[in-house]
Amino acid sequence: MIFLLGVVGSLWTLRVPHGTQVNIVQDGNVLYTFDLASAANQMFETEYEGRINTIQIENGRIRMLEAECPDQTCVHMGWLDSGVMPIVCLPNHLSIEHAEAGGDIDAVIR
Amino acid sequence: MRKCRNRHLVCACILAAVLCLIGGCLLFAKFKCSRDASSNQITTELFAMDTYITMTAYGRDAETALSDAEDKLIELEQLWSVTDPDSDIYAVNHSDGQPVSVNEETAELLSFALQMAEEANGALEPTIYPVLTAWGFTTEENRVPSDAEITELLKNVGYERIRQEDMTVQLESGMMLDLGAVGKGYAGDLAAQVLKDNGITSALLDLGGNIQAVGTKPDGSPWRLGLRDPFSGGTLGVLEISNQAVVTSGAYERYFIGEDGKHYGHIIDPTTGHPAESGLASATVIADEGRLCDALSTSLYVMGMEHAIEYWQQHQNFEMILITENGEIYLTDGVADSFVLDSYHSNMTVHVIQDEEI
Repeated sequence: MIFLLGVVGSLWTLRVPHGTQVNIVQDGNVLYTFDLASAANQMFETEYEGRINTIQIENGRIRMLEAECPDQTCVHMGWLDSGVMPIVCLPNHLSIEHAEAGGDIDAVIR
Repeated sequence: MRKCRNRHLVCACILAAVLCLIGGCLLFAKFKCSRDASSNQITTELFAMDTYITMTAYGRDAETALSDAEDKLIELEQLWSVTDPDSDIYAVNHSDGQPVSVNEETAELLSFALQMAEEANGALEPTIYPVLTAWGFTTEENRVPSDAEITELLKNVGYERIRQEDMTVQLESGMMLDLGAVGKGYAGDLAAQVLKDNGITSALLDLGGNIQAVGTKPDGSPWRLGLRDPFSGGTLGVLEISNQAVVTSGAYERYFIGEDGKHYGHIIDPTTGHPAESGLASATVIADEGRLCDALSTSLYVMGMEHAIEYWQQHQNFEMILITENGEIYLTDGVADSFVLDSYHSNMTVHVIQDEEI
């Protein structure tokens, strides 16, 4: 029993915040904030100098579905899966990123 | 029987004591962590130098320091942009073969780039820009140029034809200079220096995935960096560094798929004028200076594994992690202890490159 309590206690202490909150940021300004744990499935658009980005939230995940930008790097990145590696659309100055730093990694080399 | 029960009781007591101790330590660690978080951690983000930059600094003067570092990055972007008509590089590229005076930092960067191009035997090529443009990597209107077009363009490529005397640069008419392959690395060095000059001893700069660390984390532990898996969107392991820079080159972020279904990456092999196909999926360099990391990661990626290993053996002023197209990892001895694969990738084959290995 003591052992079980100890294990549960240790796990509670060690637990990492889930960080389900994501921000959609353009030029340093937060356009939208979503809690992926509760956000409904949806698609919405952002605009930068006349160019549109379409963002999709589905089953607690978020990605850049379409982007009116030539390189499509952000679309290639798929679903946001890292607390420290945002999905960035450089031409449209847009990023999708976790609001809290993720896990025990400080940054991603890429 | 009684003896046995006593033994169980003793074991349980020892276990409880150990767990209490662990719990106490963890709670202390947690408390320390939250205290750190409240002790002036400031993060700033900006789009500059054609990339997304985030900088986190710790300490009382973090806000001022970061603001100064941001100013520095914007100043450097204005100096080194290929497209800004007010930049040093634009002036050189539109000089019609005449000598041009440049800023001291531009001169320093160019001198470094030329030295690295020489040492890398042309695998780094600061005049490859017209070829890069032909492939659409600067305009983002990607296409596969014809062999005749590439041959014609390569006539205007050759770092050895750039003349530099202190702060005066002369480029032959028709050639173009682009310091993009080293500029971000050097900008990281200079921004980190601005932070240090402001008394910052703990900061992490992320220039579009080029990482520059000032000191350690505030608690004295090394920074923990995820290394991007070139084959998926995630990371494949963790690298720990302190007061160093790390840069990776690979063709997994900027690329296009041609009409022939082929994958064309943005790093051009200057000898062929085509995207490099050296058998490497990524090349990561760890060194004291960001500019060295930036220049070398591109060069080693173009060279391929064998030449990269030779280069490392001749110089040894950096560490590297090479990932081959067939999913094997080659890393230098000095980084073997600070890089750990995550459990999902622990079945990847890892080779440690020793000094004497050829």
